[in-house]
Amino acid sequence: MSEHEASHQAIAGMLALAAAGALDLHEQRRLEEHARECPACRRELEIWSGYSQGLRRLPQPPVPAQLMERTRTRLVQEHAAAADRRWDELMLGALALFAWTVGLTFWFVARIVTGGELVVMGANLVRFGTWTAGSTVLVWLTAAVAALALGRRRRELRRAL
Amino acid sequence: MILAAAMNPEAFSGAQDAIARMRRGDPDALTAMISRYQHRLYRYLLRLVREPAAADDLFQQTWLRVMEKIGRYDARRNFESWLFSVAHNLAVDSWRGQRGESLHDASDGGESPGALLRTGDPDALERLLDFERGAMLAACLHELPAIHREVLTLRFEEDMKLEEIAAVAGVPLSTVKSRLRRALEGLRAAMDARSTGGKGA
Repeated sequence: MSEHEASHQAIAGMLALAAAGALDLHEQRRLEEHARECPACRRELEIWSGYSQGLRRLPQPPVPAQLMERTRTRLVQEHAAAADRRWDELMLGALALFAWTVGLTFWFVARIVTGGELVVMGANLVRFGTWTAGSTVLVWLTAAVAALALGRRRRELRRAL
Repeated sequence: MILAAAMNPEAFSGAQDAIARMRRGDPDALTAMISRYQHRLYRYLLRLVREPAAADDLFQQTWLRVMEKIGRYDARRNFESWLFSVAHNLAVDSWRGQRGESLHDASDGGESPGALLRTGDPDALERLLDFERGAMLAACLHELPAIHREVLTLRFEEDMKLEEIAAVAGVPLSTVKSRLRRALEGLRAAMDARSTGGKGA
């Protein structure tokens, strides 16, 4: 293969990218020098330029009616749902803290009243470990139910407004 | 027109202002941004997924994701390429869950050939030929693989630089170049096949 033929082959592979404006300066200059002497490459470049122009003028798809409005509605709904989730989590934490405080207070009172011993089925209920385990289960269950109930009530109120 | 708007400094500062207000949770700023980008983003998604219903859903998901991530958006980065990369990632995720692409045709909309000729405009024939060439090109684009449709729409319709396309698609610059070349060659092959088929019929 002659040097000219090799250069022609290399340039031919760059013509599509040239029409897309995707060559660097060095490549562009090389191509222009070659195209000045090569009618076949000039013709090819014209064809690729036609594709480039055609792609810039394709029929435009219309945006569906109400797409913007539906997007806004969905954003508002999602925003409200996220706020509800945050509120539920906060409420769950606050209620759990409140219930634990109450549980601990009752533990002190129960120890004073029972003298530190309240045995039921072989277990001392006012021992710290037993009381903590029992009250933890009760605390989280109660707080979860209360948070859910409050959250539902809040959503119902919002729907009613 | 779109390029002119993108290069307009006032439009640019307006977009920056809207982004800053979006970060503060201003709903009007969000509406302004959706309005500003709705045609381009929807067109990109439709070219990418081909199905109007899927493009519609991805459009909405993109804005949900934008609102979720706007706090982490780096203002030094081009907002448009960030927005399109969010849309790109969502489209890729939706494909992962589906397997394969839809073969349904997307409507092109716009003027019909008959309507063009009925106008009585002396340039109507030229416009009709343009319309037919455009429709044929769009049909051939529609047949290409998704990565090729994407690179062509980003380069020619969105007028993005190769670096921006690389950022949107999450691939190196060299990959963008090779995709662009293959996409154009594929498009030309499809056009040639249609022309040959048309002449033979």
